[in-house]
Amino acid sequence: MIHLLDWANHALFYYYLASNLAYLMMLVIAFRTSAAHLRHLESIRLDWIKDSPMVPPVSLLVPAHNEEQSICTALRNLLDLDYPELEIIVINDGSTDNTLQIMQKEFRLRAVRAVYVPQVVSAPVRGLYRSDVDMRLLVIDKSPAGSKADAVNAGLNAAASPYVCVVDADSVLERDALLRIMVPVLSDPNRVVAAGGIVRVLNGSQIEAGRIRRVRLARKSIEVIQVVEYLRAFLIGREAWARGNMLMIVSGAFGVFRTDLVRAIGGYRRSAIGEDFDLVARLHRHLLNNHADYRIAFVPDPVCWTEVPSDLRSLARQRARWQKGLLDVLWPNRDMLFRPRYGRIGWLALPYLWIFELLAPVIEITGFASVLLAALFGALSWTFSLQFVLFGYGFATVISIGSVLQEELTYKRYNDWQDVARLVSYCFLEHFPYRQMHMIWRLQGLWQYLRGDMAWRPMKRLGQESVDADKTGPSPLPAG
Amino acid sequence: MGSAFDTFRKLGPAAFVLKAIIFVIVADVLLLAFILLRRTYRKWYFANRDARMLAIRQQWDALISGEIPFAAWRTKTSERELIEAMVLDAYEVANPEESARLLKFMRASGLVEKRILEARHHHGWRRHKALVALARTRAPEGIRALAEGLRDRDSETRLAALRGLGRMACPEAAKEILNWVDDAGLVVPVLPLQSALIQTCAERPQELLPHLHHADKPVREVLGRVLGEVATPLLGSELMRFADDDLPELRAAAARGLSYLNALEAVNILSELAKDTVWFVRLRAMVSLGGFCHPTALPILVQGLTDSNRLVRLRAAEGLVDFKTELLPIFEKVVALQDQYGLHAFLTALENAGLQASLVAAIKNRNSGMETNETLLEVLRTANLSTPPPAPEENTLVKAAAQS
Repeated sequence: MIHLLDWANHALFYYYLASNLAYLMMLVIAFRTSAAHLRHLESIRLDWIKDSPMVPPVSLLVPAHNEEQSICTALRNLLDLDYPELEIIVINDGSTDNTLQIMQKEFRLRAVRAVYVPQVVSAPVRGLYRSDVDMRLLVIDKSPAGSKADAVNAGLNAAASPYVCVVDADSVLERDALLRIMVPVLSDPNRVVAAGGIVRVLNGSQIEAGRIRRVRLARKSIEVIQVVEYLRAFLIGREAWARGNMLMIVSGAFGVFRTDLVRAIGGYRRSAIGEDFDLVARLHRHLLNNHADYRIAFVPDPVCWTEVPSDLRSLARQRARWQKGLLDVLWPNRDMLFRPRYGRIGWLALPYLWIFELLAPVIEITGFASVLLAALFGALSWTFSLQFVLFGYGFATVISIGSVLQEELTYKRYNDWQDVARLVSYCFLEHFPYRQMHMIWRLQGLWQYLRGDMAWRPMKRLGQESVDADKTGPSPLPAG
Repeated sequence: MGSAFDTFRKLGPAAFVLKAIIFVIVADVLLLAFILLRRTYRKWYFANRDARMLAIRQQWDALISGEIPFAAWRTKTSERELIEAMVLDAYEVANPEESARLLKFMRASGLVEKRILEARHHHGWRRHKALVALARTRAPEGIRALAEGLRDRDSETRLAALRGLGRMACPEAAKEILNWVDDAGLVVPVLPLQSALIQTCAERPQELLPHLHHADKPVREVLGRVLGEVATPLLGSELMRFADDDLPELRAAAARGLSYLNALEAVNILSELAKDTVWFVRLRAMVSLGGFCHPTALPILVQGLTDSNRLVRLRAAEGLVDFKTELLPIFEKVVALQDQYGLHAFLTALENAGLQASLVAAIKNRNSGMETNETLLEVLRTANLSTPPPAPEENTLVKAAAQS
C-alpha cells in the first residue's frame, strides 16, 4: 500500500512536470509567433485590405435569445463594423421577451421571403425579416430548440456569403475586428478554412453605446483570475497550437468559417454541449479524411469582449459545462487518436486534450487524495511534499506571468499601472484555493456528463448596461 | 552509461525539485523585472515621441517646404522615421494639391530614395517594411524596387511587394506583375494577386490579353477572373473570342465583358453561356443579361430561376425585377415554371426592390378572370405553389421575346 502511494505521489509529480513543461514550450512558441505576427502587422495596412476589390463577403451570424436589453446596441455596433461586404443575420431563437418586437421597431423590419435553403438541420423558421433601415440586416425568427447550435444552423441556411462569422449577441467587437480576423483568409484563401480571434474579459471596462471606452480590469478577484486564464488560454495556448496547425477550438463568441465547409459537415451539432469545439473537431476530421491541405488560423489582435461570470455559482456552472463539452467532443472522436491519417491532431492535439485537460481534474484530485492517504499512513516525505508544492506553484506562476508578459509585449490593452500590478499579483494568488475549486467544478462536469445530466444551467449575467459603469466619471464601477 | 532516467533517479527528487524551485523563483523575478523595466522605458519613449511630434507639427510648413534643411534631421534615424511616418499619414488623406507637395518633399528629402535603397538591399522584415513604406508613397520610381521584391524568397515579402504594386494602381505596375507571373507562375496566394491585378489593370485591361494567350492554366484562370472584373467596352470583340474557351474563368470574363456590347449582339452568346455547366459562368451571364433589361433576355432570365445554384437564381430574379413595367406577365411565367425555389428567388428580389405592392396592384387591376387573379395573389401572399398555376396569358412582350 505504502509503495503504491509513494508511486502515485511520484506519478503526480511527473504529471505536473509534464503539464507545466508542455505549457512552457507553448509559451516559448507563442512568444516567437507573436513577435512574427507583430512584424507582419507592420506590413499589413488594413485600409489596403478594406479597399481591395476581392474582399469576400462575410455573413455575421448572431444568435439571440432574450436579448431585449442589449440587442439594438449590439446590432448598431455590428452594422458599424469596418468591413466592406457585410451581411448580418440575427437569429431570434424563440425569445420569450420582446427581442423581436424591439428589433422590428428600431430597424423597421418587414417580413420577406429571403432565400432560405434548409441545408443543415434546425428548428422550424417562423419568419424572415429584412430591415428597411439597413438592407444588410436580416432577422430569422425561429422556434426555440434550446441550443445555440440550432440557431446558428438556421443562420447558415440563410447565409449568402462564402464566409460566416459567428458572434454572440452580448459580446462587443472592436470596429476593425472583422477586417483583422479576415487577414489570414485574404492572404491564403485556399488553405485557411477558419480563423479565430481573441476573446477578452469585458467586466470592469467602461462601455459607451455598446463600445469599449476604456479598458480596465475588473474589481472582483474571481473576474481578475479569469482575465489571467483568458490571457493564458488565448495568448499562449491558442497561439501555440495554431502555430502547429493544431488549433482545436475557435471560440464560439467570435470565429470565421468557410460557409461551404460548415454546410458540408452538416453545420453545428445541435446536441453538442461545446458546439464551437465540436465544429472544429469535425472540420479537422472532414478535411483530414479528404487529405486536404488546410489551415485553421488564430489571430491574436482582433478583439471580442465578452462578459464572464462574476459569481462563484455561475462560474462553477460554466466550467462544469465546458468540461462536459470537452468529454462530449473527445469521446465521439476517440477513433482519431494515434491514427496516422489524422497526423498531428491524432498524435498530439487530441492526446494532450485527453491527458492534460479532460483527465486533469481526475488525476489531480486523485493525487491530492493519495498525498493525504500517504500522510495518514506516515509514508509522506514532508520535505518532498513541501518542495513539490513550491515547485508546482512557482512553475505555474512562471506560466501565468509569462502570459501577462506576452500581453505586455504585444497588445497591451491594460494601460493602467494598477491593473498590471493586480494582474501580476493574481498570477501568484490564483493557485490557492481557486485552482482546487476549479478542479472540483470540472470533476462535477464529468460526473454530470457520465450520469447523462445535460441540462443547461443559466449563468447570471449582468448585461452590458451593468458592466457599463459610470460613463462620465474617471473610474468605472466594478462589474459585480 | 546509464539512461537519462537513471541519472534522473540518482539525482533524487528532493535535490531536483530544490533546483527547480530556485529556477522558477529566479524566472518569476526576472519576468516581473522585465515587465517593470519595459513599462518604464515605454512611458519615457512615448512621452519623448509625443513631444517630438508636437515640435515637428509646429514647424510643419517649414519642414515640408525645405526651409529646415533636410540634413538637420535626415541622418538621425529616430527623427527621420518619425517624420516619414507623419508625412505618410498626412499623404494618405491629403487632397491632390497637398499630395503633390508632400511627394515633392519626400523626393527632395531623399525619403523615397532611402526606401528604394532599403527595399533593394535589405532582407527579411526590414525589406518588408521598406516595401510597405515605398508603396505608401505611390512614387512611380518605386515600382522597380517593388517588382524586385516580388522575387524575394520569403513569401511574406513577396506579398508585401504585390500589395504595394497593387497600391500603385498604374499600368506600369501591372506590367511588372504580369511579367513576374509569366516567369515564376503562381507563387503567391490567388486572392492578393487578383486584387493587385484588378487595381493595376483597371486603367488598361488590354495589358492582360497577350498574357492570357500563353500563360499556364492556373495563371490563365487568375487572369481570366481579373479580366472579368476589369473588362471595358473596348475589349468587347476580344472577349467574344473567349466565350467558348476551355477555361470557365475566361468564359465568365466573356460573359461579363459582353454586357458592354449591344444587347442584340450579345444576347445570343449570353444565352449559350447561361446554360454553361459551371455555375459562375451562368451567374455572370445572368448578371449581364439582367443589365440589358431588353425583352430578348427575358426567356433566359425566367429559365434562370430554375437553375440549381441559388446565386444564379437570385441574379436571374434581380434581372427580372428590373423589368418594372412587365412584372405581371413575368410573374405569371414564374408561377407557370412550378419551381418553388425559383418562385422564392423572384419574390425575394421583388421584396428587396420594394415592388410587391405594385405587383399586387397590377394583378388587381387586370381585367381577366377573377379566379386567376385570386390564385396569383394567393401565390404572392403564401409563396406556395401548391395550388395549380393559372395558365399564363401570353403577353405580347414575352411572346415577342420568346420568338426572337
